Amino acid sequence: MSLKRTIPMTTVSGFGVSAVFILTILNILMQNMPSNIYRAGDELLKLNATDGVANSVTTVVVYFRGFDTLGEIAVLFIASLGIGLMLTNNNLNNISQENSNFMLQIGAKLLSPVIFIFGLYIMIYGHLSVGGGFQGGVIIASGILLLLISSNGFHISHKFVEIFETLAGVSYVVIGLIGLIILDSFLGNFLPYDISKMGLLLSGGIIPIIYIIVGIKVGSEMSVIVDNMLKRNIDD
Amino acid sequence: MLGLVILSSFISIILIAFKTIIEPKLSHTIVLSMGIGLNAVILFVAFQAPDVALTQAVIGIGISSVILLMGLKHLGGNYES
Repeated sequence: MSLKRTIPMTTVSGFGVSAVFILTILNILMQNMPSNIYRAGDELLKLNATDGVANSVTTVVVYFRGFDTLGEIAVLFIASLGIGLMLTNNNLNNISQENSNFMLQIGAKLLSPVIFIFGLYIMIYGHLSVGGGFQGGVIIASGILLLLISSNGFHISHKFVEIFETLAGVSYVVIGLIGLIILDSFLGNFLPYDISKMGLLLSGGIIPIIYIIVGIKVGSEMSVIVDNMLKRNIDD
Repeated sequence: MLGLVILSSFISIILIAFKTIIEPKLSHTIVLSMGIGLNAVILFVAFQAPDVALTQAVIGIGISSVILLMGLKHLGGNYES
């Protein structure tokens, strides 16, 4: 038995190619030291104070990159639609018709109002503190998940949720188009935003309104996803 | 003190990730990946990014793990990786 092992040619060439790649990246990094890199983010954060919103992340997500947020919501809507189409089957029944654990039922009654209030707080104060529409909507959807699995006779009506979701999506686009008409830019801030009111609940013009709309849309979509996934086969 | 918290989170992320790879049952794997997300939340808070930490806690740990577990139940339960 010889200790010398034959290393495959592909391994050697792989290591060689990765070494050349890493050396190239290091070379580029050494030439562009951090002092020379133009910081685009700092320029945007300097502009943040002019909108009267205390949380700079909210300004970036909703105002500077508002069109991206519209695209993210569209992606979530397509995912919800796909799950709904995939799980459409007559053999599925709702899990909320079955009896669950007694502790779970009492715990859900106790905890779900707190979860809903917390989600609404995160959603409405998104322009002042951490969080925002996305996170608040998902917290509300997790409260609905708790109610669904605890089977207190709770079920969500898909038509009602779809009306909410459609109204939220349409009003997002309508607010953007009003900004386009008045200020010549999509999602322009056409409501008054006073810098002296920074930190108050009513500040920042359209930014809190848009984040609440995002929260309603994300919450209803995630609730529909969770409700569709909870259905199970009758044969099981 | 903060350095100790960051270091322990880093080490536990690596250990839990290794355990996640070698774990045979898929449902255990999902719960272990929630542990990775929890340590990531600690790191995000330590590096002063509370928005990202809240998003990771709500979406990364909460709802996505639940959806993965429900999908595993739809697939038929006792899958082994």
